[in-house]
Amino acid sequence: MIRMNGFIAALAAAACILQGCSGQRGASGKKTVIGVSLMNVSNEFIVMLNKSMDEKARQLGVELIVNDAQRSAEKQVQQVESFVAQKVDAIVLNPCEVEASSPAVDKALAAGIPVVNVNSETRTPPTAFVGSRDEDAARIAMSYIAQRLGGSGGVVMMHGYMGQAAQIKRDQGAREVLAKTPGLKLLADQTAEWDRAKAMALMENWIQSFGDRINAVFAQNDEMAMGALISLEQARRKGKVLVVGVDAIADALQAVRDGRLDATVFQDARGQGGTAIETAVRIVRKQPFDKETMIPFHLVTRENVGQYLKATAP
Amino acid sequence: MPATTKKPWPAQLGLALALVALMGALSLERPNFLTVANLVNLVRQISINGILAVGVTFVLLTGGVDLSLGSVVALTGVIAASFAHPGQATVLAPLAMGILAGACCGAANGLVVTRGRVAPFIVTLGTMTSARGLALLISHGRPVSNLGPAFARIGGGDFAGVPVPIVIFFLVALTAHVFLKNMRLGRRIYAVGGNENAARASGVHVGAVKTIAYVVSGSLAGLAGVVLASRITTGQPNAGIGYELDAIAAVVIGGTSLNGGVGGVGCAVLGALLIGVINNGLDLLNVSSYYQQVIKGLIIVGAVWLDRSKDRS
Repeated sequence: MIRMNGFIAALAAAACILQGCSGQRGASGKKTVIGVSLMNVSNEFIVMLNKSMDEKARQLGVELIVNDAQRSAEKQVQQVESFVAQKVDAIVLNPCEVEASSPAVDKALAAGIPVVNVNSETRTPPTAFVGSRDEDAARIAMSYIAQRLGGSGGVVMMHGYMGQAAQIKRDQGAREVLAKTPGLKLLADQTAEWDRAKAMALMENWIQSFGDRINAVFAQNDEMAMGALISLEQARRKGKVLVVGVDAIADALQAVRDGRLDATVFQDARGQGGTAIETAVRIVRKQPFDKETMIPFHLVTRENVGQYLKATAP
Repeated sequence: MPATTKKPWPAQLGLALALVALMGALSLERPNFLTVANLVNLVRQISINGILAVGVTFVLLTGGVDLSLGSVVALTGVIAASFAHPGQATVLAPLAMGILAGACCGAANGLVVTRGRVAPFIVTLGTMTSARGLALLISHGRPVSNLGPAFARIGGGDFAGVPVPIVIFFLVALTAHVFLKNMRLGRRIYAVGGNENAARASGVHVGAVKTIAYVVSGSLAGLAGVVLASRITTGQPNAGIGYELDAIAAVVIGGTSLNGGVGGVGCAVLGALLIGVINNGLDLLNVSSYYQQVIKGLIIVGAVWLDRSKDRS
């Protein structure tokens, strides 16, 4: 399969040379420019997404203009407006919010500029979407808990910011598994706002109220899982409680390798970022492209953590 | 000296009673509330907010405000963490660097407020933004992790059976209390906040006093940043968002005036404790996150309202 891909790539390269590499240059002879608006570059996952986009752009010989929306949908709309004014060839949008970032997509499409949404959705359908299904991540994590506990036990769940798309979907996925596994009892669920310090306090309080009844913790991201883990270790209870997170950030992978964290779910930033740029370039070059690319999640445990540690090395 | 050091205790007695009543009600509802383990837990949870609240008390007493605390916590946490990797990991270097960085932020705030005559709200708002940016720059937007075990003891260790953050919080509160009540400089902070012109007329160097208040606030934010980084065993560039408001809420709930001159360390500790009990209690009662936010907001306004209406009667 890999060899096959290599062959296709070689063919594409040959075709490119024959055409005088018109793909790299737009019709006017200029270099292809892609505007990128990212949700928030102070988030480790988004930083990785950004990096993989830069790599792919360098590989394909296109130019990126990367803006940080700093979690504000309003800022994101402004950034897209300025991309439209600059007449970029395509826009890659990493939406802050489902509803509030939609006008950005509307405006770009109205101006005839294709939009590729990456990682999260907007209400307005873009030209193409690259991402992962958050429900799947939670499903994978909760199924792992169900399997390790033999289908019965007490579980607590830490939510992200209430009302964010990722929180809603991870909640959905987790509850699907809970509904199918009547032996698993959800003792409590509460938000720790994706935050490690808040998760520590919440876990300490849960240890006080439920004590030995907690058999497993599902945190909707790794930051919170790490917080819960530290609290459990300090209370000398980690040996009896399973902790599972989502995202596979560097810290969590270390903890999995050291046998502290039981599992995390790998969301493929590299795959998402790279594919988003590739799709945008295909659209600009009028090549066939997938309207929807789903990059799968993977469960990471101590057995397979090695390969992910390498993949996310800074 | 102007007699602005009058004790605000009667006003706080009501609050202390409310705290005891709340704890009593909670322990009836949840028997595991009034256990030593949970109370230790509770005080450890408020120790970071408590340290910040004690620091910002100095600034509020001069009639200023410090909105940069949360960002300074993140910046100093990142700086401390980058000196705390295993191998280089002593406790002293990260602690000193964190506090020093915080003191610098405070000094910058104080100097621009006093020399530049810019409103404290604006100056510290600017520092809030810049310090966050610096934290992201230094850390390249990623958490600074892989910290040494010695460093982790500042936030996670025990000292004679008591968690270290509680010990630090206690020492900070005690020192600050003695400083404000018994030292000449402390009393001058009250004087400046009570009546700036009168203080100036009686020979107090108002600019220096205010600048020192901001340096204290910044240094304690630095200390809080180190404790937080150690507690969560990473320097997080996006940690501490909103911490300044939690700290100011604690101080004001406790009875310190936003207009300056009235209040003290006792107010900060009491307010932080009340917020801590509410957070811990609502979690133990498993109240939904949506209700928790509504309830906390009502309590902040309610506590201050009660306090003010007592003053008027």
